[in-house]
Amino acid sequence: MGKLNLAVYWASSCGGCDIAIVELGEHLLELAQVADIVFWPAATDFKYDDVEAMEDGAIDVTLFNGSIRTEEDEHIARLLRRKSKVLVAFGSCSMEGCIPSLSNIKGIDYALNRAMFENPSTVNPEKVLPQRRFGMPEGELILPGLCNQVRTLAQVVPVDYKVPGCPPHYEQVWKVMTAIIENKLPSRGGLLGVDSRTVCDQCPRKREGKIRVERFFRPHEIVPDPDRCLLEQGILCAGPATHAGCGALCIEANMPCRGCYGPPDGVVDQGAALLGAIVASFEGKSDAEIRQVLSTIVDPLGTFYRFSFADSFLQQLKANPEEAGRICASQADGSEEEVEQ
Amino acid sequence: MIRSDELDRSFVQEVMAEPGGEHLITCWSCGTCAATCLVRRFDPSFNPRLILHKAGLGLREEVLSSEEIWQCSACDLCYPRCPKQIHISEVMKAIRNIAIREGYEPPGPFPEVDEQICSGCAVCTRACPYEAIERVTKVVDGEERTVAQVTKTLCMKCGICVAACPSGAMNLESISDRELISRMGAGGWLEKPGYLQGGAEEPRILAFVCQWSIHSDREWEKIRGLESDQLRIVNLSCSGRVDPAMILMALTKGADGVLVVGCKEGECHYQRGTYLGRSKVALLEQMLEQLGIAKSRVRFAESGSLDRFLFPRLVREMVEEIKASVPVVA
Repeated sequence: MGKLNLAVYWASSCGGCDIAIVELGEHLLELAQVADIVFWPAATDFKYDDVEAMEDGAIDVTLFNGSIRTEEDEHIARLLRRKSKVLVAFGSCSMEGCIPSLSNIKGIDYALNRAMFENPSTVNPEKVLPQRRFGMPEGELILPGLCNQVRTLAQVVPVDYKVPGCPPHYEQVWKVMTAIIENKLPSRGGLLGVDSRTVCDQCPRKREGKIRVERFFRPHEIVPDPDRCLLEQGILCAGPATHAGCGALCIEANMPCRGCYGPPDGVVDQGAALLGAIVASFEGKSDAEIRQVLSTIVDPLGTFYRFSFADSFLQQLKANPEEAGRICASQADGSEEEVEQ
Repeated sequence: MIRSDELDRSFVQEVMAEPGGEHLITCWSCGTCAATCLVRRFDPSFNPRLILHKAGLGLREEVLSSEEIWQCSACDLCYPRCPKQIHISEVMKAIRNIAIREGYEPPGPFPEVDEQICSGCAVCTRACPYEAIERVTKVVDGEERTVAQVTKTLCMKCGICVAACPSGAMNLESISDRELISRMGAGGWLEKPGYLQGGAEEPRILAFVCQWSIHSDREWEKIRGLESDQLRIVNLSCSGRVDPAMILMALTKGADGVLVVGCKEGECHYQRGTYLGRSKVALLEQMLEQLGIAKSRVRFAESGSLDRFLFPRLVREMVEEIKASVPVVA
């Protein structure tokens, strides 16, 4: 058998998923013996032209991280779909939208405005707003435009597998790599690089089981007992509604689970499942008491949907998917056709 | 006919010696409890007065073996109304405790835990109003794990645990997720376009109604008669059974608004179910507001034990609010 062709791509991401692959360390040498990395912008020097020159289906497996936020992201997603036999949505951004998709709550124009003009750490007295085309003496510069919505990879092209995590834990990454190398990938459509059940299954903390709290704390407001269940101490922990796979990493650092491994098997909407679990965990014996407890949950939307907003019912309620790929109003200049290739 | 030689006179003492059973003989069988009791709506054979009376007579085996003693959910609507101030649910509990010792079990079906999925996260044990769920450590598929286990003698089958379970490991046959979703969508109701999608003349409302919050059979009948293309009613065992994912799913489809009707504060048939129901809706409202979506699209309304035919008004109000607050996508 010849060597496998592997590709890794980052769309709108923080780079953490690439680091998770680098974190394989010596395993990378094992990987290099059986596979050629034919494209990996974060680590190698191949260009888009190199990918375009490949035959369709020339890449055996592409690990695609990052959400789809710009024209460029979408273009490369389609390109890599065409060139890859197996396309993997790698990491939370690509799988369910992750942190970038929280900007869909207010919309991309708001986010752009906020980032360019209102952000306290931004100095922009001339009110410069990035445009898709800009004329310079040396020629015209082109920037990929921002789309109306941050989307998951599967909302743009068909995806074969999903690997959750922000970022995926390197041990899980190696499990995925091993499955690829040994040609032991399960039937298409499933999750890779996870363990059974939820984070609570891996959490070593003691759960009393009957304690309900009367208020919630944000992590900086309290020093939690490292041995007891965080929810029973009033800290919003997403563990009960989050797929196992990380080995309860954050919890071991005395921080609550944020939910980056996505919903448990069979659960469609992670935020709704978490909401139900949180409501069960507090005590309120009257409307007034309930309001009191709820007032201690700062930003319920961002808390329950921190990683899965783009893939949620609420996202569907908020915006029309047909508009999702259009260029946002702040940058629309009527030249969409021209730039899209 | 009751034969006096079949009576076990010591049963009265036995019940009264049990914590909670002390006031058994103060009952003078007026029947106020039976008149108040909500369980009778679904099972007319249930009559707290009769159970107390039989126990007072000493019909030991008949009382202990009856299915009725397990039906009282300790909602305590009868307690403040009893002229003799008997805490009837406590007497009932005392009788049950004796029955448990004698090896009797309440009739099922009970919520079932899928041990392969259950993480032992303790969400259900906290949610349960009756502390009827324990976490037990046992060997599942050759691996020692902690999973939830339902204590049948304490469970009232309210379904609150089913709604709370974040991984879908808890299931109760009659009110399973699948059952509720099929009732929501029966006849393609959810697939028809809503008013806000420009597909209906009037806002289409999906109502989840707690079966205990509507207090007479006639009222239920009338309410059922209101079902139409504009209104779908799904009755729940308790408003605490409502699942936020189902509400959101309905809103993304053909429902313009989702109304959840539960019992009034302090009147919940399952003690804290109504608080769970209203908390879920309150959080959904907050999230819709954060998103800039009219929060009038979800509402929790309470229907008290003295309210009659409130439901049509609640629906009407919701319809008006939606029409007033949301611009229609043409």
